[in-house]
Amino acid sequence: MSERLLRAGLFAVAAFAIGYLLPGTQQLPVFFYHPVRRVIAFTGAAPSPWMRYYGDLFYAACVALLAFGIALKLPPRKTPLAIATGTALSLVALDVLFYLSRLLASV
Amino acid sequence: MIFESIARPMLVLHAIVGFTAVFSTTHHAAYSLLSALGRQNQRALRRFGWIAPSALIVQVLLGLALYPTYRVRVRAADFEHNAPFFTQLFDFKEHLAALSLALVIAAALAARIKELPSKEARWSIAALSCTGALFVWTAAVLGLCVTAKHPV
Repeated sequence: MSERLLRAGLFAVAAFAIGYLLPGTQQLPVFFYHPVRRVIAFTGAAPSPWMRYYGDLFYAACVALLAFGIALKLPPRKTPLAIATGTALSLVALDVLFYLSRLLASV
Repeated sequence: MIFESIARPMLVLHAIVGFTAVFSTTHHAAYSLLSALGRQNQRALRRFGWIAPSALIVQVLLGLALYPTYRVRVRAADFEHNAPFFTQLFDFKEHLAALSLALVIAAALAARIKELPSKEARWSIAALSCTGALFVWTAAVLGLCVTAKHPV
């Protein structure tokens, strides 16, 4: 059970990394919040001060929870844990590199 | 704006809980690494297996509550005109915080199981936990830099 939970956790981390990166880069519709007017909109892009962070986080959390549930339901995989961990962390590293590139581009 | 009137005390609380999150995730990472190296301490690992994600979840919720005030009073009013680098720096911090949340929760959940996991599983938990702790540390330092430049 422990290893199965770990594998489901790794699957969820990988799904979170993908689900967090894709909506922003592909301008997928997510929930936007306007902090002054206090209204919510479901759209792909909106000018400042509309905030998409809540929407991106919500989207990624839903994808991760879904992936976790699916991984627990599926029969156990034979993929070595080292490969599963490396894949999940590589996807996380991809996110970090993308956001780091945006940070460095602003210098 | 929501929570604007209590933004300053919330920022102080955000910093205090931030220290708790940094040190609890560091402890979890250290114990999971020791476990992977063969020095078992399942009790401590289980204890920090609920403290670290709890502190991090509270920290992220406080950050989310402060975000609208930051967005209007700091980012739109100052950073977007005078310091665009700090806009990107803050965004990078937010992304690291989000990713660390997934990593720490996954590591803590897997490490809380009472049965002794295999050596491969222990290394996997350590990798998740150490990466999560590294992200939390980086997010905390970047958060302090942004706050030093312009607090809410």
